[in-house]
Amino acid sequence: MQSIKLAWYNILRNRRRSLFTILITVVATLVLLASGGFGLYMYQGLEEESARDTGNLIITRTGYFETEEDYPLQHGLSGFKEIQQHYLKDEQVKAVLPNVDFQGLISNGEKTAIFMGKGVEHGEFLAKGPFINFIEGHALSAEVEASADPEILLGKGLAKNLKVSVGDIVTLLSTTTDNVMNAMDFKVKGVFSTGIPELEKRMIYTDLNSAQILLDSDRVSSIAIHLFDIDNTSAKLDEVQSQYSELEVTPWWERAFYYRDVKNLFDLIFALLGIVISLIVFLAISNTMGMTIMERTREIGTLAAMGTYRYEITRNFTLEGLMIGLIGTVTGIALTLALIGFLNVANIEMPPPPGSTQGFPIAINFSLGLTLFSSILLMTICAMAAWFAARSGARKPIVEALSYV
Amino acid sequence: MLRFENIVKAFTQGETKTYALKGVSGSIQRGETVALCGPSGSGKSTLLNICGLLDNDYEGELFFDDEKVTGGINAATKMRRERIGFIFQRYNLIEAMTAFDNVEYPLLLTNENKSDRKEKVLSILKQVGLAGHEYKRPDQLSGGQQQRVAVARALVKKPDLVIADEPTANLDTETATVIIDLMRELGASIQTTFLVATHDSRMTERCHRTLNLQDGMLFDEVVGSVEEPQTKTLAKGAKHAEHQVSMV
Repeated sequence: MQSIKLAWYNILRNRRRSLFTILITVVATLVLLASGGFGLYMYQGLEEESARDTGNLIITRTGYFETEEDYPLQHGLSGFKEIQQHYLKDEQVKAVLPNVDFQGLISNGEKTAIFMGKGVEHGEFLAKGPFINFIEGHALSAEVEASADPEILLGKGLAKNLKVSVGDIVTLLSTTTDNVMNAMDFKVKGVFSTGIPELEKRMIYTDLNSAQILLDSDRVSSIAIHLFDIDNTSAKLDEVQSQYSELEVTPWWERAFYYRDVKNLFDLIFALLGIVISLIVFLAISNTMGMTIMERTREIGTLAAMGTYRYEITRNFTLEGLMIGLIGTVTGIALTLALIGFLNVANIEMPPPPGSTQGFPIAINFSLGLTLFSSILLMTICAMAAWFAARSGARKPIVEALSYV
Repeated sequence: MLRFENIVKAFTQGETKTYALKGVSGSIQRGETVALCGPSGSGKSTLLNICGLLDNDYEGELFFDDEKVTGGINAATKMRRERIGFIFQRYNLIEAMTAFDNVEYPLLLTNENKSDRKEKVLSILKQVGLAGHEYKRPDQLSGGQQQRVAVARALVKKPDLVIADEPTANLDTETATVIIDLMRELGASIQTTFLVATHDSRMTERCHRTLNLQDGMLFDEVVGSVEEPQTKTLAKGAKHAEHQVSMV
C-alpha cells in the first residue's frame, strides 16, 4: 500500500512529465482500440456479407468444390425439396435456398457476351436482404405466368455492354446435362450493381426453375442454409453434417475467400501497428523513467542506504510505470468509448474500397477481449520500460548514488 | 560495538591506484559518540561508508558486536535495514513523502505493524520538535526542520549505530547546535552509537572521542571535550602498511 502511495506521489512530483507520458499511453490505447475496433467492425461486416452471399452452410455433393464438372450439374443434388422442407422447420434457420450455378453466352440478338448465372428461388431476395443494389427495375417475381418469358436480372456492366434495359429480351445459350446446346429467351426484369465492377460485367440472376429448364435437369448445384444468428453456424454445421453424412456441408468461412484475404491483410497491418505503437510507448516510457531515475539517483542511494533491497527499489519504479500505464489505458478506453458514441451519432461514410462502388459507414466495435489485451500489453510495456530504466539506477553503487548531484 | 581492522581502500583510475585508507584500525563502544575529523581527502567519508556497510569493496575486517561482517550485498542491506541509521549532510529526505512518511519508512522496512509505527513516528517527531509538521513535505520545511526529520528517521528504529556525514554542515550555528543536542539526547536515551564525520568543532566537543584522519591514516585521537583535550598521537608521517593503528 505504501509503495502504491509512494508511486502516486512520485507521479505527481513532476506533473508535466507524467502528463506527457500518460498522454502517450492514452494515444496508444486509443489508436490500438480504435483501429482494432474498426478492424473488428470490418470483419463483422465481411463475415455477415460472406455468410449472406453463400449461406451459413452450403450443402453439396461430396467433392463438389474440388472437382470440375464435365457437364452442367454433373455433381448437382437431386431431391433438394426434402432437405429444404426439413430445415425450414428449424427455428434457427431463416431460409433454405437451392441454387443452380451455370455459365454460357448471353445475346441481345446483335451482340453476344459471356455470363455467369445463378438460378435462384424468389426467396433469395427476401432472405438475403439488399445484397444487390437495383439500379433499374426490380427483383424477380414470385411467380411468372406460364405464357410469359422467364425473368432475368443483369449486372450493370453486362446490361451496358449489351445495351439492354428493363423490358428488353435477351437470349441465354448454355449446354444441357446431355451436352446439347439449349437456348431460352428471358425478359430483363432488373439491372443491379454489386459494388464490384468485374462481377457486374458477367453476373446474371434468373429463377431456379428456368435455369433448370435451360440446363434440362432437376438438380441444383447446392443448397444454402441461412441462419438467423451467424454464431450458431458451427453448431448447425455438426448437426447438418451428421444428418446428411453422405453429402458435404461447407461453412461460409471456407468459401469466403475475399473475407479471408482482407482479414489476413488487416491482421498483418494491425500487428505491425501494434508493434510500432508498443515500441513508441516503450521508448517514451524508458526515456521518461530514465530521466526520472537520473534525477532521483540520490534518493535511490538514500533508500538503499536505509536498507531497501535493489529489487524493492526497482519494484517501486516499476509500480510507477505500471500506474502511468493504468491511468493512460483507462483514459484511453474512456476516450475510445466516447469516439464510438460520436461515430454512432455522426454517421460518417468511408469512401468505396478498391474494386467497389459503394462506401460504408465508419464504426468501431468495442471488444472486451481487445480492450483487455491492449490494456495488459500497454501496462506491461510501461512496467517493463520502467523496470529496465530502474534496474540500472538500482545497481549503481550506493556511495556513488549518494554523492550524485 | 564496532571494530575495524586494517582497512585499506584504494581507488583505481587507469593505471593509477590511489589509497583513500591505508590500513586503518579502531573500535567504538556501544553508546559512544565518535567524531571523524580530517581535511578533505583524508578518508573520513570513505571510512564512514565502510563502517555504514555502504561500501563493501575494501581490504581488512569489520566487526559488529565482535561478529565479522561477511556476506554479499543483501547481507549488508539487511544489516543496514535492521541495525544502522543514516544522517546525511543534505538531509536526503524523500521529496515525495511527508515528514511522517519519511520517518515511517525505516519502520516499514522492518515490518512493524501500523499502529506501532504511527505511535513511534509521532512520538519521535514530537521529540525533535516537529509536532504539527508531520504532514508537510520536505520542500515545505526549513533546512533545520528537514535535518530534524532526518535525525528522527535515523533514530526511529532504535538502531545500534548511526552514521552521520557532516550533519551540521548545511545549517546555521543555532540550528546546528540544536541538531547536535538532539542527536546526543535521543542517542543517549536508546544507547545508540554515533560515528560522525564532521568539521564542526561544536560537534566534536560534544563527542566522546575524536579520531583525526590524515592522508588515509588515523593521525591522532582526542578523548574528551575541547576544553580538556587528551590527545594521543597515533601515526605521523608513516607510510602505508607500516602504520596500522590499533585503538582497541
